[in-house]
Amino acid sequence: MKHSFIDKYSDLDSFIHRLDPRTRILSTLAFILAVMVTPPTAWEAFALYFVLLAALIILAQLPPLYVLKRSSVVLPFVLMVAVFVPFMGHGEMTGSYNVWVWRVSLSHEGLLVLWNMLVKSWLSALALILLSSTTRFPDLLKGLERLGVPRVMVMILSFMYRYIFVLADEVMRMRRARDSRGGLGTRVWGREQLRQIRTVGNMIGTLFIRSYERAERVYGAMVARGFDGQVRTLSALRFRRADWGFGAAFCAALLLIGLITVIS
Amino acid sequence: MHIPDGFLNTATAAATYVVSAGGVGYSIKEANKKLGEKHVPLMGVMGAFIFAAQMLNFPVMGGTSGHLIGGALAAILLGPWAGALIMTCVLIVQALVFQDGGITALGANVFNMALLACFAGYYLYRAVVSLMGENRTGTLVGGFVGAWASVFVAAIACAIELALSGRVPLGVALPAMAGVHALIGIGEGLITAVVLSFVMATRADLLQLQKV
Repeated sequence: MKHSFIDKYSDLDSFIHRLDPRTRILSTLAFILAVMVTPPTAWEAFALYFVLLAALIILAQLPPLYVLKRSSVVLPFVLMVAVFVPFMGHGEMTGSYNVWVWRVSLSHEGLLVLWNMLVKSWLSALALILLSSTTRFPDLLKGLERLGVPRVMVMILSFMYRYIFVLADEVMRMRRARDSRGGLGTRVWGREQLRQIRTVGNMIGTLFIRSYERAERVYGAMVARGFDGQVRTLSALRFRRADWGFGAAFCAALLLIGLITVIS
Repeated sequence: MHIPDGFLNTATAAATYVVSAGGVGYSIKEANKKLGEKHVPLMGVMGAFIFAAQMLNFPVMGGTSGHLIGGALAAILLGPWAGALIMTCVLIVQALVFQDGGITALGANVFNMALLACFAGYYLYRAVVSLMGENRTGTLVGGFVGAWASVFVAAIACAIELALSGRVPLGVALPAMAGVHALIGIGEGLITAVVLSFVMATRADLLQLQKV
């Protein structure tokens, strides 16, 4: 398993990567909240948000194509839920087309709702990709903890992060074993499909038993080393001048975009 | 059905955040009370287990594939509060690392896919088992029904939240989400039943764990 499975590109070295994780977390949250409250017709605001993010993505030396590809993760939900909305609305119609035998009308209001969801979810996803591609996951957790996320939650998440690699490796070995034994048939209907579902179910069952036993062993090993329910770690997080500078500049940019929206 | 950012209005996002924070806070307390200090490594490794199990795809139809979601399975094996806590961790990692579900929508996603799904799955499973008896058939049918329902109620809640946010009319969202997820739920139900059958055949004692 490659180490970068979870937080690819977070080990690069750039101005953005060197900031305190809390600066990046708070900036990302501020950005997403700002996008959330922007009215859908504020076209220039969305363009400016995009320019701001694009500048930071370039500054962080992330490959733009990789970021774009990953941001497409919001599309399935939009397609499933929202794509019908423009055809259902009642308000003012922007156009009406004959598609084969159906008469399809697009409502202006519906299009606006679709645009609103699409642009906001996409910009927010871009911001989160920027966060997770510039922050190693343990640093992200450390930052969240210092920002007040309950300690127990952070501890559980750290354990989860630690063992995702072990168990994902386990899954890959099991999958390879299945595939090399012809576990994947070409015909996937009827009995063959049921057989494949049974195979996957048995694999997950095996994985559960192995995971549970591993959790027991891990706990035993921890108790043997004096675990008493508390995890004590050194935390060297520190806001430096660059953090204050970046935070101030980023907030100023968001406020400026807000101001432009209000004026126009 | 991970809701991305921008799909919920502020009121719905805030309300679901409050409810979910309360639910998750209580589940941490329950886990701590019943499992003691063991709950931290156990919940963490189980979160990683659900995460890894979701990597295993099975064919659905027409060349598409699906994977286990796991809320009902976690709840049946470890109890509803533990299941909700585990699924919350999975959802947090998915949102932060894979942008699967938004940050402002995290409260709603936790409410639908962790709290609602685990409780619906667990209690329907219990109901079926108490009706059909604590035997192989009862467990398997209960697992299927519970897992199917966990997907179905989460989808319905998701549709209602979208409608409350004024994004999609309920008349459109509800049939679309309910219809698609009634089908997805069949796969979830079958896989969950097979997993339970496997665990029963190899380590039946793990089905009798203390439920949290």
